[in-house]
Amino acid sequence: MQAGLSFEQLTNDEKHQHFMDRINRGEKIEADDWMPDDYRTSLIRLISMHGISEIMGALPEKEWVPKAPSLHRKLAIMAKVQDEMGHGQLLLRVAEDLMAPLGKTREDIMQDLFSGRLKFHNVFHMEAPTWGDAGMIAWLVDGAAIISQSMMLDSSYGPYARALKRICAEEVFHAQHGESIILALAEGTPEQRALLQDSLNRWWKSLIMFFGPKSAKETGNSNADKNIMYKIRTKTNEDLRQEFFTKYIPRIWALGLTIPDETIHFDEETRMWVYEDVDWKEFKQIVSGNGPRSQDRLDLRRRSYDSNGWVRDALAAQKAI
Amino acid sequence: MNTESMHQQERTELKELIYQLADDDFILAYRGSEWLGLAPHIEEDVAFSSINQDMMGHASMYYHLLEDLGEGDADRIAHLRKPEEFRNAILLEMVNGRGTYLDKPDYDWAFAVVRNYFYAIHKQVRLESLRVSSYEPLANAAKKIMMEQYYHLMHWEIWFKQLVTSTDDARQRMLIAVDKVWKEFGGVLTLGPSYGEFVKAGLIEDEPLLKKRWLNRIEKVFKETGIELAGEPAIESGNGRKGEHTPDLAEALATLSEVYATNPASGW
Amino acid sequence: MGENGNQFYNVYEVFSKKTEKAPFQHQFSLLAPNADMALVMAKENFFRREPVADIWVVKRENIRGLSQGEREMLKKLDKDYRETKGYGYLKKKWRDYNQEQFTEKHIMGGREESR
Repeated sequence: MQAGLSFEQLTNDEKHQHFMDRINRGEKIEADDWMPDDYRTSLIRLISMHGISEIMGALPEKEWVPKAPSLHRKLAIMAKVQDEMGHGQLLLRVAEDLMAPLGKTREDIMQDLFSGRLKFHNVFHMEAPTWGDAGMIAWLVDGAAIISQSMMLDSSYGPYARALKRICAEEVFHAQHGESIILALAEGTPEQRALLQDSLNRWWKSLIMFFGPKSAKETGNSNADKNIMYKIRTKTNEDLRQEFFTKYIPRIWALGLTIPDETIHFDEETRMWVYEDVDWKEFKQIVSGNGPRSQDRLDLRRRSYDSNGWVRDALAAQKAI
Repeated sequence: MNTESMHQQERTELKELIYQLADDDFILAYRGSEWLGLAPHIEEDVAFSSINQDMMGHASMYYHLLEDLGEGDADRIAHLRKPEEFRNAILLEMVNGRGTYLDKPDYDWAFAVVRNYFYAIHKQVRLESLRVSSYEPLANAAKKIMMEQYYHLMHWEIWFKQLVTSTDDARQRMLIAVDKVWKEFGGVLTLGPSYGEFVKAGLIEDEPLLKKRWLNRIEKVFKETGIELAGEPAIESGNGRKGEHTPDLAEALATLSEVYATNPASGW
Repeated sequence: MGENGNQFYNVYEVFSKKTEKAPFQHQFSLLAPNADMALVMAKENFFRREPVADIWVVKRENIRGLSQGEREMLKKLDKDYRETKGYGYLKKKWRDYNQEQFTEKHIMGGREESR
């Protein structure tokens, strides 16, 4: 910064330069710091999508909370789904503070969700018809989420990095909860093993999609590059997907499960996993609200939001002045 | 008192009491778990879930006491009994509202608050008595549960008082819920047909005494918030302590045991 | 949702200490209509697992923080006259008198500062 001048006296270009210098030095940006509109917009897009995905992500697993097959499993899955809601709370608070200067609040996030403007992760649009899915979500969907979240632990935006730190700490419990369900099924009766294989067949394509397309050309837009420039994230979608394969494919095979992709193998030469790519048009369809359970889950959320409107009004009247 | 020195009859009474305690917490926690993801706002969703987990944890402690008393595996006790074998109060099994947790839920938050608040007060009163129970494992469990119960009670008390003193609409909904709960709360307060034996064995204090303590606390809150007391709470739909239940319980049990019942012998 | 719409809640900042001896530390923020509600929400939202010895909730509006300009001005010049690093030469001086320089431990009355 120019000697002697207070920050407020800088021109916009100087502020921008100062901002980029800070990011490049590895400093953290805070909510009330000056930031380019572009950075703010990118963060709002990323974090509100992440936050609302946690909230919507509670719904498929929630289907199994009352049905979990023992007292211990009932307690554990309740705690796990509660954590997802809690992660949603942390992330939405981060997004809300970013939106505040634009005059927007949590109410706007909810309305954007209901109108389809705000999207949530593809995996949470899918069906979870068996207890095997409760295990698969906790093991592999959460496993995928840990990989993409831990990449952003050093994000240039301080409040996001701090929220992720809390979240990742809890994800370790989630992963083990998932492994515990999966191993119990894998070591169980032939019916239980079949439950598991069915579930893997059902989720595989969604897991490939979870990390997003390789590059902008598959869907016509990709915000990943911009997020890398601003040091919000550090790796590409494909880096993350490959990491996921390396971490989980050996385990899936070790349990004697079959991956529903005959072509999948590790290419020793390129040191990359080769796999059958998915139809990214289908991905786009799903996240646009046309997945098998998209509208049901949105309806569940909308219904609870509407029928509890009187509660929020009542509390607003109790607001401390 | 320990299990060796206990007569057969006393043992039966003891188990009867623990079934009431366990089933009350279990069924209400189950109803609470159906709310997951549907609470009025996100912070409350997380908070409510903590309470339900704690409550189901308490049920699990009681079921393990029953396991120790030779009633079989705790999971089997929780998942495989018939509705008429359950000893919870009917109020606690009642559905949260129209619809199911999977399909078009139209849940009533006023009912959730009133049911949980009134129950939390009763649970507190009951635990204060159980902590000096003649059956030591039960007294020990009660002491542990009381630690968590303090914040549950605080949580529901804040909700109750804030909603009932807020907008006209909120107050109206809360008063309707109070009426609804009042009609069944007698079923929570009763210790069932063998309560005389519980008292004789020093397991818990006298039913009218516990009831009076609950009523005193309620009266104080009603006075503070300008609600009129409508006589003694009733038992309109039957006495759960005698195994009388509504179809709501049968539906709940079918759901909560759906997976477990496919193969109770297998590990899950 | 009714007319209260966007003014539904206040932002509360949540602080806590892990043990009785520990200082308060900022945790996170939440939305609540008033302090009582904020407190019960704070307990279950942020202390589900970790131990906690005390909790504060503070309405964000009541916190006077620094603006970015004010924060930038904190990067002040060295003031070595008020820090131990400005007195490094003392050790050698005392040695000339055959004396050992007091360490932090001596000055604190024999106690190491516990952290």
